[in-house]
Amino acid sequence: MREASKILTTLIVCVLLSVGAVAQQAPKVRIDFKETVLKNGLRVITAEDHQAPVVSLALTYNVGGANERKGRGEFAHLFEHLMFQGTQNVGPGEYSNLILNNGGIANATTGDDRTAYFETLPANQLELPLFLEADRLRGLSVTEGRLDKERNVVQEERRMRVLNQPYGRSDEVLTEMLYDNFAYKHGGMDSMEDINAASLEEIKEFFKTYYAPNNAVLVLVGDFKTDEAVALVKKYFEDIPRQPDPPAVDLSEPEQKAERRTTVEDALARAPQVSLGFKASRGNTPDLYALQILSAALGGGRSSRLYQKLVKEREIVNDISCSVDERSGPSALYITATLRPDKKTEETEAAIYEEIERVRREPLSDLEIEKAKNATTLAFISKIQTSLFRAIFISLYAGYFNDPNLINTWLDKTDAVTKEDVARVVEKYLRPTNRTVVITMPKAKAASTGTAGQ
Amino acid sequence: MKIKTEMKWRADFALALAAALLLTLIPATGEAWQQGRAPAQPPTKPTGQEAPRAQPPVNKEILKVRLPRAKEATLKNGLRIIVLEGYNQLPTFTMQMVVLSGGLSDPPDRRGLANFTAALLREGTKTRTSREIADQLDSLGATLTTDAGLSSLTSSVTTSGLVKNFDRALDIFTDVIRNPSFPTDELEKYKTRTLAQLQLQRATPNFLSWERFNQAIYDEHPAGIVSPPLDSLQRVTSADFARFHSAHYLPNNAMLAVVGAVTLAEILPKIERVFGDWKSGAAPKTVIPPTPTQPATKIYMIDRPGSVQTGIVLGNLGVTRDDPDYFALQVMDKIVGGGPAARLYLNLRQAHGYTYGAYSQFNSWKFRGTWYAGADVRTEVTEGAMKEFLYELKRVRDEHVTPAELDSAMRALVGSFALSLEQPQTLLQNIITQKLYNLPADYWDTYPQKVAGISAEDVQRAAQKYVDLAHLQIVAIGDASKIRDVLAKYGTVEAYDSEGKLIKATDSK
Repeated sequence: MREASKILTTLIVCVLLSVGAVAQQAPKVRIDFKETVLKNGLRVITAEDHQAPVVSLALTYNVGGANERKGRGEFAHLFEHLMFQGTQNVGPGEYSNLILNNGGIANATTGDDRTAYFETLPANQLELPLFLEADRLRGLSVTEGRLDKERNVVQEERRMRVLNQPYGRSDEVLTEMLYDNFAYKHGGMDSMEDINAASLEEIKEFFKTYYAPNNAVLVLVGDFKTDEAVALVKKYFEDIPRQPDPPAVDLSEPEQKAERRTTVEDALARAPQVSLGFKASRGNTPDLYALQILSAALGGGRSSRLYQKLVKEREIVNDISCSVDERSGPSALYITATLRPDKKTEETEAAIYEEIERVRREPLSDLEIEKAKNATTLAFISKIQTSLFRAIFISLYAGYFNDPNLINTWLDKTDAVTKEDVARVVEKYLRPTNRTVVITMPKAKAASTGTAGQ
Repeated sequence: MKIKTEMKWRADFALALAAALLLTLIPATGEAWQQGRAPAQPPTKPTGQEAPRAQPPVNKEILKVRLPRAKEATLKNGLRIIVLEGYNQLPTFTMQMVVLSGGLSDPPDRRGLANFTAALLREGTKTRTSREIADQLDSLGATLTTDAGLSSLTSSVTTSGLVKNFDRALDIFTDVIRNPSFPTDELEKYKTRTLAQLQLQRATPNFLSWERFNQAIYDEHPAGIVSPPLDSLQRVTSADFARFHSAHYLPNNAMLAVVGAVTLAEILPKIERVFGDWKSGAAPKTVIPPTPTQPATKIYMIDRPGSVQTGIVLGNLGVTRDDPDYFALQVMDKIVGGGPAARLYLNLRQAHGYTYGAYSQFNSWKFRGTWYAGADVRTEVTEGAMKEFLYELKRVRDEHVTPAELDSAMRALVGSFALSLEQPQTLLQNIITQKLYNLPADYWDTYPQKVAGISAEDVQRAAQKYVDLAHLQIVAIGDASKIRDVLAKYGTVEAYDSEGKLIKATDSK
């Protein structure tokens, strides 16, 4: 039995914070976890935490939208739905019933880089989610009828979240334009047709290739004894055979040489929207941490530069936000502004560029850096309040960056950002030639014929 | 300020991550693909025999949890203080001032005043500008939000931050609660911002159906509107805010609730220092208006050209928070539409693939709340969805729920208590609810027994009373040209545009 174990830290969540004008001390998160690799390659991470009588499980597979082929958009997501549709042992109705009717909650999420399944339950039900996750990794049972139903459900999810909402397509269009490499580029464009085209044969192949113990990370956080929990994981998972390692995906992006721009007409929107994207380096790099701080200083909180200038002072936008989409591969910083209905997009764009130019000319002040770090810190700590989210983040960090301990070092990395770092990333990424612009214009009422999103 | 723009579906499933839960009671049909890697257990018999099913390991015992006790104190001026001590090991705190006057205290010609007043609190005090408040809060890494609904019992100010900065956050928190100056320039900015927001939210289908549904149920009652009337917003002045504030923001008309890594002993002197000299007074008593008699079933169709879905909401008047029927309604709601294991989901999503999710929901206040069901379905299946909704509503009235459904609902409701122990804010809200609605002191401790005591007869009785098919109010938002005829099969259709205006019959085809 090949097994690697390491004890990383000694304390459970213990956060020491010091924020103020003097004596800055980096906040600390310390989550003690143990790592075990089963002989079939399944990476298992356990973190005992006895604050509440709860156990949480996150199982992340190293597969997502980036692994999809041309003509098969939304395939990873459709597959995720099928993971709830039963096995030889658990009927199509039983999976969620078992979790929910024992006081738990369960869900799953598909991203471009990873697919994560997760559950949280009262602590005395630890064995149940382990059984269920192992059972569906061992083998699915899917019919044509079920697949067709799930096509409908996935399409309905897309209609609800994207096609029936104002600005729904704009974010997708921005991503489709910003990326060159198919892996991240293929947004929702043809996905309704692609969902219909997926076959049971392809589903089978996808399962075999990517849903393998050696392509997954299992994280348990909560009220259990580590030895007992690891023994249970072995009981349920260890005899699931390893598969050949799936092919790696090339995520590389060529350098962008000129601004990209388009206009989207939206029958459902009531005011114009300006969306900007700036392609950046891959996640968990010093540049990305500097962009996080920049993003908070520009658009986080009511004292941020963009809010104060565009919302309060000039009153041209109703809402403005700045965010960093951190990925395994090339990431991006986004700025989105919804205009006052009577304002012009040109004026708004110019005002945003002035603020970017200002941050390039006059670096952030110490106070602004401090505020950005404080906001980022509080947001991070709030995010990992429950065992479920601690499990999810550990598993995603393991999956994205091969670094589960990032949950303990994320704040240090953020705290290490200097003014100079921020100035560097502004210069490097927030250039006009690295900019992608999507303008959304409300489509005139008379012209609307119920064809949005086709 | 926060104008609510979304109808709140099950918050416990809105985990900020894409949802994807599926299940079914419908037997699989057609040819099955089975991808097996290794049997869960070695088959005991060779080929030709089905492998024995492995039984999921369920612990039949419901984990008993002990809810933490709050510590309480009252200042001489009547301010009640409630502290949930040392909660979880994160060095953070959340502090909420609950003022016992909200939208229900609005003057009739100034609807929204409580809401505006709360929103303006952080836009300037006697010693701080709006910008300074924002700067100082952000410097502390603290958040401060205010809220008062259009028909709420309360107004609230909430701040969260790091314990290390408790004193400085408390200082700002106190200042915005006690000394707001409602500066006219900020008021003007607020008005233009809110006017734009009120217009933008009309693009969102959930807002429009929520608005129409509440109007249908509550009519002239304060809960009949869900966003402030424009004329009211234009009319209000700083003087109105000052008047509302001085009449209602009083220590003997408020509760201060705190949760986090703090103790009552350590923060009481600090609270005493900043709120001790807050003068008490006689706040006007909140009058709870009666809810109207329900009209006969009607369908309110909102025309939203360009829609690719129909958003359907069906419901009735429900119960007050202290109604003895509360628990029966809760169990009924859980079984009918309380999540992915419930009937509506199994039927409309799992069996029919009409929707991403179909749920029911209920709320309850000092006045009667609502029970409603709903889903967003693709336009073409509007008729099928209507049929299945009505089938499920009728079924729960006509037949007893099964012992298995009853047991599952009970296990889900009681079992999930363990999960709330990880959510200090939820626990604090529970304590506030118990006090606001004068529920018994042991309300949450005896909650499991009350849920477990509900029988199939109780559920049916609740259904017959609160799922009132003769007075069902139905809202359907979508592309009128495609759904009008379908809807007309289910009752009288009244059409509205996305401005919320009735479309006269002569205007429409």
